[in-house]
Amino acid sequence: MAKPPPITNRIRALREEHGALSQADLADAIGVTRQTIIAIELGKYSPSLESAFRISRVFGLGVEDVFGWKGR
Amino acid sequence: MSLTDMSFREKTAWAMMLVLCLTGAFYAWETAGNWIALGKAPSPSLKIAIVYVAFVIVGSAVAEGTLAARSPKEANAPADERERAAIHKAGNLAGWVVSAFAVGGVLHYYWHRDGDLLFQVVAAGLMIGQIAEYALQIRYFRRGV
Repeated sequence: MAKPPPITNRIRALREEHGALSQADLADAIGVTRQTIIAIELGKYSPSLESAFRISRVFGLGVEDVFGWKGR
Repeated sequence: MSLTDMSFREKTAWAMMLVLCLTGAFYAWETAGNWIALGKAPSPSLKIAIVYVAFVIVGSAVAEGTLAARSPKEANAPADERERAAIHKAGNLAGWVVSAFAVGGVLHYYWHRDGDLLFQVVAAGLMIGQIAEYALQIRYFRRGV
């Protein structure tokens, strides 16, 4: 299995805070597939900087409020 | 993982891998028969090659057409960044598979001057390389790039 990227995220929690936003709705909002959102949430894939910004903007937050670095 | 959990491109990769395995098995079966009968690598057969290519074209069209008809929105959408990375990495590694067969075939030809075997090795490399490409795509789609 590919080594998981050292980037953490709060996307699942933020989706629930934002009226149970579905993975499919978030995927549509940022222009990726639902499977990519699943992979990001599970820590199997690190999104590009552009997608990270897009995701953060959906929640009205900054990138560092959504994404973090393991161990920090 | 169920079919509904797969992205359109993963379903396509599974379908194409199946088509290529079946058509490759047809090619291998026909070629092996000739190989056994001759006791050496058979000359390239235009008939087998044409039937193989026709099966690949028809199989791909049916498989991709069926999947696209079931998910037209996903079929029309371009690959996203994760899919592009997976497709790129799989294509890169599959290229090494094709190269390994080609180099092996050329080296064998250099020593034994068997052009028929060279053709069969390169043909096998192209088929196996394509199957490997789709298999690697599935792996990267599922387990991360």
